[in-house]
Amino acid sequence: MDRDLPSSCEQSIRSPSENPAEDSLSPETLASLRSLVITPSTPDTAISSIFQTLTRSLQLSRDPLVLHHTLKLFSDLASHRPSLSSSVSELVRSHALLSSDSTRLAAESLDVLASIAERGGTPVDLDDRSFVSLCFGPSVSVRSWLLRNAERFRIGPHVLLTMFLGFTRDPYPYVRKTALDGLVGLSKPGVVEDLDMIQGCYCRAVELLLDTEDYVRSAAVRAVSAWGLMLVAFNLETKLYWSDNLFVKLCSMGRDMSMEVRVEAFDALGKIEIVSADILLQTLSKRVSGTTKGMGSFGQCPAAEVESSASSVAGVLVHGLEDEFYEVRKSTCHSLRTLTIISAEFSEKALNLLMDVLNDDSMYVRLQALETMLHMATYGLLKVQGTHMHMFLGSLMDGNMSIRSATRKILKLVKLPNIETFKLSVDGIIDNLERHPQDEADIFSVLFHIGRNHGKFGMSIINEVFKEMELASEGKLGFDTARVAALLILAISALLSQGQHACNIPPIIFSYAVTLLGRISVALTDIMNQDALLAYLSQCSRSTRFSAMEFNLREDKPRLPAVTIASSSHSSNEINGTVGSPFQQGEDVAANLQYQAMREPMEVASSHVGYHLEVQDEVIRSMNLIFAKVKDIWPLIQSGFTNEVLRVLRSFKEELATFTSGSLRSVGAVAFALQYLRVVKQLAKVWEHFLPARKLCSGMGELDIALGKLETRLRELKSRFTGLSLEQELQILELLLLTCTLRLSKVESYCQVASLKKLSMTASHVESILKLGSIEPSNFMSEVGKLSYLTRTSSFGAPCDPFLFKELLKYFSLEQFVVFGRIDHIKAELVVPDNDSENHLPFVPRLPVGIPCEITLHNICSENKLWVRMTMDDESTQFVFLDLDLFGSSDEVRKFTYVVPFYRTPCAFSFTLRICIGMECSFEDVPPVKRYGGPDRELTFLCQEKEVHLSMTLGFNSSGRAVESDIRPKDLDQLCMIILNKCMLAKSWS
Amino acid sequence: MKARQRGSQKERKFPSMAIECLVLGAGQQVGKSCVVVSMNGKRIMFDCGMDMAYHDHRRHPDFSRISESGDFDKALTCIVITHFHLDHIGALPYFTEVCGYRGPIYMTYPTKALAPSMLEDYRKVMVERRGEEEQFTSEHIVECMKKVIAVDVKQTVQVDKDLMIRAYYAGHVLGAAMFYTKVGDSAIVYTGDYNMTPDRHLGAAQIDRLQLDLLITESTYATTIRDSKYSREAEFLKAVHKCVLGGGKVLIPTFALGRAQELCILLEDYWERMNLKIPIYFSSGLTMQANMYYKMLISWTSQKVKETYSTRNAFDFKHVLNFDRSMISAPGPCVLFATPGWISGGFSLEVFKQWAPSEMNLITLPGYCAAGTIGHKLMSGKRTKIDLDKDTQLDVRCQIHQLSFSPHTDAKGIMDLVKFLSPKHVILVHGEKPKMATLKGRIYSELGIRCDDPANNETVCIPSTHHVEVGASNTFIRSSLNPNFNFSKISSEDESDSRLKDGKFMPWLQVKDERAAEGILVEEKSKRAKIVHQDELLLMLGEKKHDIRFAYCFPINTDNLEDTKSTDVSSSSNALSMSGRCSWLPMLYIKLSDELSGGNIQYFGEQIQVESFSVSLCLKDRCPYRIVDSPPNKCEAVFFCCTWSIADEKLAWKIISILENLDYGTC
Repeated sequence: MDRDLPSSCEQSIRSPSENPAEDSLSPETLASLRSLVITPSTPDTAISSIFQTLTRSLQLSRDPLVLHHTLKLFSDLASHRPSLSSSVSELVRSHALLSSDSTRLAAESLDVLASIAERGGTPVDLDDRSFVSLCFGPSVSVRSWLLRNAERFRIGPHVLLTMFLGFTRDPYPYVRKTALDGLVGLSKPGVVEDLDMIQGCYCRAVELLLDTEDYVRSAAVRAVSAWGLMLVAFNLETKLYWSDNLFVKLCSMGRDMSMEVRVEAFDALGKIEIVSADILLQTLSKRVSGTTKGMGSFGQCPAAEVESSASSVAGVLVHGLEDEFYEVRKSTCHSLRTLTIISAEFSEKALNLLMDVLNDDSMYVRLQALETMLHMATYGLLKVQGTHMHMFLGSLMDGNMSIRSATRKILKLVKLPNIETFKLSVDGIIDNLERHPQDEADIFSVLFHIGRNHGKFGMSIINEVFKEMELASEGKLGFDTARVAALLILAISALLSQGQHACNIPPIIFSYAVTLLGRISVALTDIMNQDALLAYLSQCSRSTRFSAMEFNLREDKPRLPAVTIASSSHSSNEINGTVGSPFQQGEDVAANLQYQAMREPMEVASSHVGYHLEVQDEVIRSMNLIFAKVKDIWPLIQSGFTNEVLRVLRSFKEELATFTSGSLRSVGAVAFALQYLRVVKQLAKVWEHFLPARKLCSGMGELDIALGKLETRLRELKSRFTGLSLEQELQILELLLLTCTLRLSKVESYCQVASLKKLSMTASHVESILKLGSIEPSNFMSEVGKLSYLTRTSSFGAPCDPFLFKELLKYFSLEQFVVFGRIDHIKAELVVPDNDSENHLPFVPRLPVGIPCEITLHNICSENKLWVRMTMDDESTQFVFLDLDLFGSSDEVRKFTYVVPFYRTPCAFSFTLRICIGMECSFEDVPPVKRYGGPDRELTFLCQEKEVHLSMTLGFNSSGRAVESDIRPKDLDQLCMIILNKCMLAKSWS
Repeated sequence: MKARQRGSQKERKFPSMAIECLVLGAGQQVGKSCVVVSMNGKRIMFDCGMDMAYHDHRRHPDFSRISESGDFDKALTCIVITHFHLDHIGALPYFTEVCGYRGPIYMTYPTKALAPSMLEDYRKVMVERRGEEEQFTSEHIVECMKKVIAVDVKQTVQVDKDLMIRAYYAGHVLGAAMFYTKVGDSAIVYTGDYNMTPDRHLGAAQIDRLQLDLLITESTYATTIRDSKYSREAEFLKAVHKCVLGGGKVLIPTFALGRAQELCILLEDYWERMNLKIPIYFSSGLTMQANMYYKMLISWTSQKVKETYSTRNAFDFKHVLNFDRSMISAPGPCVLFATPGWISGGFSLEVFKQWAPSEMNLITLPGYCAAGTIGHKLMSGKRTKIDLDKDTQLDVRCQIHQLSFSPHTDAKGIMDLVKFLSPKHVILVHGEKPKMATLKGRIYSELGIRCDDPANNETVCIPSTHHVEVGASNTFIRSSLNPNFNFSKISSEDESDSRLKDGKFMPWLQVKDERAAEGILVEEKSKRAKIVHQDELLLMLGEKKHDIRFAYCFPINTDNLEDTKSTDVSSSSNALSMSGRCSWLPMLYIKLSDELSGGNIQYFGEQIQVESFSVSLCLKDRCPYRIVDSPPNKCEAVFFCCTWSIADEKLAWKIISILENLDYGTC
């Protein structure tokens, strides 16, 4: 593109002036040189002369502005012309800008060198001395830049520590903040081992808690927390002393005026694992306790600090819970999770507060409060009292489904102190059932658990109610009423309660329960399957006394093998291995159930039999909890509560969004979970069309669009994540199968053949995976397999019956996803720098134009085929292949700048391109229509589409700047010719 | 370059630099608020309230104290009003229209919007009910409001060249603000009434960490500490829910602005969550109109209301309907908000008469009711019979729930604010005298801040900050631009006492950046004061640098040494041989190394060096530094001569005491 070589720059390149002093380049020239540098089509000869010109400028110029631009250009040169990067690096290095008097320029040269090094050049060896002397320069921006970028120069941790620590004294708040952030980064075990040093850092950070700037204070809280925890961990003997000290310091920030600071403070409080009981209790009362005043002691605080410490701790958690900002309230609720474990007395008092939080106006806060309670319940710390019941059971009436479900989770585990609270709870649950019938399955399950945990109470209720029932109905029970169904569940569960010796539940109740078998068994899938339930019920309806005794005999030796076989064999929730036969001995069933009853509550909470993997990462664990919840909403999708489902999914999504700052390992998992939620969301939308009521009311187009979306989402789920296990892959394939089946089961659906082909391809894929591992296929998979085999064997293209496919849908049920290993998210970021609707890239109509893109690729290996897709306003598309071998070798993150050529520029003043990066799906076996020069397979897009604005360059004035003039469209063609000629001329020069 | 200077010295030099605080109202009482602050030649009046308890001249602040002549325009720079409550604004129309103040008046937008109706209501009540001569007319209110300049939260207003004011959010009521005021280098904050905990419709007070000379704060609840508002809310909701579930009616008497909206948001939220269908009614047009103000002034409400505003205005009450008189005796449960709050008359009394006799119904009472009102009678104990007037007696059988919501901060909140702002001085107003005294004591003992609680018409003078301009040398400026931090380590032998110096934990490692502290202020004759770098000083004065060292020569008794050494050292009485003497320093070295773990002890053969302290054998017969005369038996003592510089004085004496108390028997 040397045609638009401006004359002045042309001159400066071609003929070096005799007088070097006059040779300094004007900013305009430098700017136009830049356009040459970043244009990929500029010939190498021009580039090398630019390189020489710049070299001269670097050597001769003393003007800092010119030097600044020159360095910038060198950096561009190095990034656009990888071949030149080593000479640029050498030049900048040799030019000894590092030792020049301007620290700003030195920092800029360092930046150039470092970015070359990051693209695979020779690493920058900045010695500690020069780093320190640069930091000590007068320029504040350089100072904070260096502190922020210290990691790029591999400075020794001790020098860094000294720098960071020293600059916490800087008069500029931003430098102080950067220094504190740097200190947080160094607070890793193994970096600083010296106690004095750790204390020094801690105390320095503590001093900055009083800074005038909000952001410094919030960085200081982070630093205090990080170094305080180091101190706590340093020595067992002083552990409590430092822990108390840290706790008090953090508490003193709980009343800061800045919301960010408060959130940091409460987050940090949740990381403390040990603290003196009196300090902890003081956080719940705004009044300083009498014993503190009287005894003059407060935890491990020095005597002189008792008063001030106590007053800064006083009631801080209460303040946190009633804060104006929900972020603070939520963070406080969350930190209570760890704090309640420290002291039982504290947890009891904190619970009183938490119960009140259930009245909060923010759903997030209520949910977090419930999750904290669940956490307390799993640790056996949830001591519910009569006074709590109104608030607590009120959550069962909440309009939000997640709140109700979270409340019920707690009810499953909670130990109720007396029969009054038990009755209240049962009434509450039944109210919930009457108000929100869609919760039925979960409610039955809760009743079952609660009945089993409180057998005695359950039985006394049943006996009372049973008489009434008998009397009122004269032997005819209205089974359809929710209340009766709920009570029946309670009755059959009470029998399984541990330590329940005398059982006097009328056997007739069990016969009644048999009539509800279907509904009950759906609810109890995590405990037993339908057959086992039937066996149990029929056994008990004959004689409860007998079976109860039988259970007690077996109590001490539960039939473990039966269960282990069942649970290890496959990932489904049903126990149907050896206990499959409905007519087996009742004792087996009983033993089985007893075993379930004795399992840890934690395990029951996660309610996933056969899930024995150790999941340590908390994020992963909460992710799995979400997956479990997603599984729970399948019945809702099936019965068409789409709006409810969408709302719940949205709340999951928000929950997931809180895990943004996690380990690398969890980042991928979070992205995966989000994508999975999108799939389920789309599935719910699609399913709506298959409900009986919706048969005729929606147009086909709508369904097709929805199905297409679902396919795209699934494709992304399938191809944009690596590290999935076979089971997980199988689950995704099952969803794919489902999509095909859905497509095929609509009579009106077009492209039957293609869908059929896709189905059989996917089915054979599934088969091949099944052969690999010892994974059992789900019912749906095997049924689809059979049908697909049938269609394959029959003559191809034969019309297939949509009803056959529709039948298949019955077998499908959403299974729980379990994440354990590391999942990597394949993604890309694409930035077109300096381009927006205001700043257009110049182009010449009908000539190719280069679009400079800064591209970052994550987790892409060299087997992946990447394409850049560019779409114009008229939907005409062009693909450019990205050869990964050209851009660095690291698989995890590649960052590079690439100038994408776009050939077919329209004859227009300006136009907009939509540009994005896609990856060929390797698994997609159905090749799409071949495009000339485009990808062979369907693309999965790895980033958002970016808009690139281009506008025409019309002419040049004497200084080489582009000039826009008023020109009528009909003159355009002529103009293009002129420009073309001009270009020819330019070419002939070089 | 500026150097800070403050305190008594300056007071002498610039007597006008003190901040003078004249309390005209709310001094040691909760009543009319009015404080006149003079600083650096400016005079600002904060609030101009009226005391409802009086009906004579005492209801107004004593304005004559501001200016004898009555020329208030000259005496005052401006008036700042914090919020629309009458005890903060009630006397304003009187002051401007009757007393003739014509200067600027500042208040926030909502205050300006809401104040006229508050003043008008008050005027009507004054005229109608008490039949008094009116203090000001409706026209006065209108004219007065014309002088008002409205400001926004965090908007900095330059009143004149020197005086700057800025409003900060104060919670309390819609539009309440604290005012930051700065004249020259002196800065104060006047809080007005504020609330440090948010409620359902207003946020908590919010202010930056400012450098303040003085904080004037309200202290209504100087000793009260309130528990979590959650439990209060929960109790209220439980009571209301229980009542309506049982088919009863709930009467909530409130005033139009504030509590009504808060409770209504609370109920709305609860209704929404619990999916309740029972109607909530608002009685009077005034409350509806107040809701309209809230809807418009959304930026002055709580975070939650602001956040949800884009989707739904929290003051668009979904479940709230207008109440009609005919509905009073309609069957079925309902919740009704009615004015006035103390059931002193009006609609709330009318409804109360109808509903009070039924046990199913519930009446809630606000936290405070004026004496003589029905509300007050209901509050004070269990009464079943209430005398409405001479002839009528009402049998009250309904349930009564007392609310304890307050828009004022509690003692903890005041302490929190004072701690956060850490001003140099605090003045308490708007509180009860004994409680204020308690709080005053706490502020001084816990935070170490001087605090006053002046009575009405008292003046408090406090010193203020004043900056003096001085020149600076180039070297000094250059040195202050470059960071110059150093780390000092407190030597571990001081550990025991230094760690807890002044009751504060002192770290072993300290960081200092002394770039500005290194300067030396020089005041040459007839020239401006100037700061120079310490290296320049000698040059300027043409002097040489002197280093002061201390010296001390002391004997060590060698009795014990004799015993231990006698085996291998010649027992000749002729003192110790040279070889014997030479073995002393190593011994001391070992001893010191034991005692001073961690100190940097070096042994150079002739002397032992610890930091700047050095000790060596003194072989002179007459050492000028010898203080103790030679012991009688010269042979039994060995003299040691030590020198040190002033920086290590403490260390030096510690080492000397170790050496003097040496027990060589154990060596």
